[in-house]
Amino acid sequence: MQRPDPASIFGRYEFLVRRLHSLIGLLPVGAFLFIHFVTNFSILDGPATFQMRVDQIHSLGPITLPVVEWSCILLPIVAHALIGLIIVARGKRNLLYYRYARNFRYTFQRWTGVVAFAFIAWHVFDTRGWIQESWWVAHVTHPLGGGTFDAARAAATATASVQASGWVAAAYLVGVLACVYHLANGVWTMGITWGAWTSPAAQRWATMLCAAVGLGLAVMGLGALWGMATTVIR
Amino acid sequence: MNTTSNSSSFHRPIASDCQPGQRFYVRVLRQDGPRKRRYWQRFALEYEADMNCISVLQRIAENPRTDDGRDVAPVAWECNCLEEVCGACTMLINGWVRQACTALVAQLLQDRPGEIELRPMTKFPVLRDLVVDRSRIFAILEKILAWVPVDSYYDLGPGPRQSQEAQQMAYLYSKCMSCGCCLEACPQFLKIELEYREGETPEAYNARLRTANMRAYIGSHAIAQVELFNSNPIGAMNATERLDALVAEGGIQVCGNSQNCVRVCPKGIPLTTAIARAGRAATRHIFRKWFDR
Ligand code: SF4
Ligand code: SF4
Ligand code: FES
Repeated sequence: MQRPDPASIFGRYEFLVRRLHSLIGLLPVGAFLFIHFVTNFSILDGPATFQMRVDQIHSLGPITLPVVEWSCILLPIVAHALIGLIIVARGKRNLLYYRYARNFRYTFQRWTGVVAFAFIAWHVFDTRGWIQESWWVAHVTHPLGGGTFDAARAAATATASVQASGWVAAAYLVGVLACVYHLANGVWTMGITWGAWTSPAAQRWATMLCAAVGLGLAVMGLGALWGMATTVIR
Repeated sequence: MNTTSNSSSFHRPIASDCQPGQRFYVRVLRQDGPRKRRYWQRFALEYEADMNCISVLQRIAENPRTDDGRDVAPVAWECNCLEEVCGACTMLINGWVRQACTALVAQLLQDRPGEIELRPMTKFPVLRDLVVDRSRIFAILEKILAWVPVDSYYDLGPGPRQSQEAQQMAYLYSKCMSCGCCLEACPQFLKIELEYREGETPEAYNARLRTANMRAYIGSHAIAQVELFNSNPIGAMNATERLDALVAEGGIQVCGNSQNCVRVCPKGIPLTTAIARAGRAATRHIFRKWFDR
């Protein structure tokens, strides 16, 4: 009996990489998205409430906060995105020939992933400038107009960055919705990947569950966006 | 038991008024050999009662003349069982991947009057015209150990009993005829077609092809076969080997859950249920591998 040939270097870890990609999409990336929406949603309760939420986050401290940000937010997102791009490149979408709803969801999952990655990259540069190191800030972030967010004047700077122009507001709308779809549909495929919902009936129920999750996230995200776009700080 | 399938739509009654002698056209995407140029040719035929796509190809073979009067080489195709159990005649018919032997002309003309379009599958190397090389499917079945190894030197007696439920599930999976429809429709299953390198021996070429086949995605038919043989009480004795193959390179992790496969499988095999169950088994398998040794 012939045994499978030895795998390539990537192939040896393919299963782990794909499962890791699936897992970090939810934890911590998905969880962060939820927290991020809840925080920003508080702008609807007034600039003071939003400022308080931001202060709570920053009360972690100037050493702890960056460590948490890098390990639980930035690096997982970058890892998820890079693996995701490899996944996109290794598939051959065929929605034009097989026009099924699930195939649309599969295809849209890839599109929203790419859109979300581009949006997040821009959004993080625009508000935080990617890296907080002084040379980078002086020579890259500020010349390119990034790093506009100031935690001490959270409401004023956050609303200003959304209200910069109609294009920016539109980009936020598309970006938020792409993230929401990608997370909600991602939870659904994750349930199949790990074997949580197996039968067609269970997968239909899971679709509804994930749609509800997506709807809830959309309300939170769009509410936060609405608040940022309409709150006027004097 | 859900058996999501489009076979019901394939085999629905025909309300067509196709009359014997009625003219229709058949457009065939042809190719004279591996990696050769592809070109279209159109043939005019007369309808006969109960015609299917195999009889269409037989008529073309009898009189291989295009509708503009050129004598051409007959169109090559494969078939065997003529009752949709061998999978040999799988091709794209009006853009649908399905078996030619059960594609009834009256029905096709009802859906798209006047013309039928035949193309070879796109995920397998074309050998000639509508004949493709599907040997990769069998390499995959070898990879995942899609059989129950028993040595038959002496009588082992009757095997263990199986529950009705297990038998029914196994029956569904056992209907797979390795036709490749599920692979043709799968956005994660990509074509592999190699070319001979300068001075390469057939042995070296075959070894290279085998490696490429072993590393690429196995597809949902194979995942269903892992479920089938691992659910068999004797087959389960090699469950670990099959699960190892399932999580190896090109294994179940490549699936992107588009669920096209279950929609096109002519045998109505619950492929997505198999994928999710095998995913669960793979999850358990990998944890056991890490923590139980
Ligand atoms: S699972 Fe269905 S579509 Fe796939 S090879 Fe088997 S019979 Fe064909
Ligand atoms: S569910 Fe998986 S195996 Fe089936 S068509 Fe989609 S990607 Fe391919
Ligand atoms: S000839 Fe066997 S399936 Fe068509």
